[in-house]
Amino acid sequence: MVNELRELFRYRYLLSQLVARDIKVRYKNSFLGFFWSLANPLLQVATMTVVIKYVMLLEIPNYSAYLLVGYLPWMFFQMALLDSSQVVLSHRDLLRKVYFPREVLPLSVVAANLIHYVLALVVFFAYLLFYRLFLHGAPIRITVLWLPVLMALQTALVIGLAFFISCLNVFYEDVKYLLTVLLNVFFYLTPIMYPAELVYAKLNSPLLYRLYLLLPMNALTDAYRKTLLPPISGLTIKETPIHSLPLDYGALAAAGALCVIIAVTGYAFFNARKWVFAERV
Amino acid sequence: MDCAINLNNVSKSFVVMREKHASLKSALLSLRRNRPERVLGLSGITLSIAHGETVAIVGKNGSGKSTLLRIIGRVYRPTAGTVQANGRMSTMLALAAGFHPELTGRENIYFNGAIMGLGSAEMAAKIDRIIDFSELNDFIDSPVKTYSDGMLMRLGFSVAVETDPDILLIDEVLAVGDAEFQEKCYDRIDAFKRAGRTIVFVTHDLEAAKNVASRAIWMNAGEVVADGDTVQVVAQYLNSVVHIEHASKENV
Repeated sequence: MVNELRELFRYRYLLSQLVARDIKVRYKNSFLGFFWSLANPLLQVATMTVVIKYVMLLEIPNYSAYLLVGYLPWMFFQMALLDSSQVVLSHRDLLRKVYFPREVLPLSVVAANLIHYVLALVVFFAYLLFYRLFLHGAPIRITVLWLPVLMALQTALVIGLAFFISCLNVFYEDVKYLLTVLLNVFFYLTPIMYPAELVYAKLNSPLLYRLYLLLPMNALTDAYRKTLLPPISGLTIKETPIHSLPLDYGALAAAGALCVIIAVTGYAFFNARKWVFAERV
Repeated sequence: MDCAINLNNVSKSFVVMREKHASLKSALLSLRRNRPERVLGLSGITLSIAHGETVAIVGKNGSGKSTLLRIIGRVYRPTAGTVQANGRMSTMLALAAGFHPELTGRENIYFNGAIMGLGSAEMAAKIDRIIDFSELNDFIDSPVKTYSDGMLMRLGFSVAVETDPDILLIDEVLAVGDAEFQEKCYDRIDAFKRAGRTIVFVTHDLEAAKNVASRAIWMNAGEVVADGDTVQVVAQYLNSVVHIEHASKENV
């Protein structure tokens, strides 16, 4: 694996070119360009907020901020994995003609989506600053320093899964359909539209809750929310108040370790099969 | 040994699927039944190509020419045997493969250089020479979807040659643009040879093979039939083709 990484490093310029090409081509003929990749999550979050607050009449303070902080990382996760399922097939002409370290393909789609995620976070912080400074007067919290750590862990997770998915989809094109279904299911199982505290209350068992947090996206979504926003307050279900829980560092560490393990095994899995791609696409 | 390319007893077989992309269902259903078929693409190829040699690979369709080129270019891994190449290798890309239609000629040059393993500093140093050689200065900042096929080939050839690889692999593209530009390409290839660079190309154009290459390898059914002086090997190859045509006419 060391040799593979060295070769990959030698081709880092190719990786940056692939990312640049991905981003350039995506917005080449659209007038509003990058705006479109922001418009989707913002509109989605605005719609959900309206439905929750004004249709279902659930009173949740600052719902859109809590939703957005879970939704943006999910968008990164989802888009990167969907793109990775197609990336090997869409570069079949290159694969069949030229030698290059195959792993630049999934890595390039993860990197391109990470850039979109970072830009979306900039908008999120602008929103937060505006909201806090002018309406509440509270500063951005010091725990924001966790953000790079959480992003690094999530990126490791996404890279590992992208390796598995991009590779498997060469052999079985069912993978892309299965992925779409699973992403839909996990969108609801991950604490994005609701706080993890609700899961804790429902499960009513610290052990089960720990297991729930072992799924990396669950722990990460919870950690993003708890480090970037103040603890939830004033939330009641059937008149029982839901108390906010502190960030569970143990669970986060376990999920983080799992992210790294997935990245390493994904790379090994991909490497073992990557030289067959040219014969199969 | 001081060779540019060295193949030792190289074989390559391919797994053949009825459908190229098997579905998960059929994979699960056929887990026990019918083992995938293996088809031999190359068998027991041993050859070495010295620095400065220009070698043409000839043979009919399906004879293993392109497979051999891809084995040399590390696109395929051999099933058995070893492949050794000394020096930086680049592949001249055919039309569709290397260029993105929406991007400009310049952007595509950078991308092509990157895929040959060059870094950003190397490309920055070479970009002007590449553009000059291609004679596409006026169009270099337009998307390549506006280019003609001839212009695209010029761009591809310029990148491949002006990035100074030690070994250049070309898969059936020597008809580059008009006669004048073609002359320039042959001159450039000559200079390339004199500099001790190696060229290996696959072609159906036997005249081009005789013009450019000093050595030819005739492939048939995954094996080397003849290997040597281009004029002789091409004559042998033509002879066999005529022979086969005769035979099939007599059968009718």
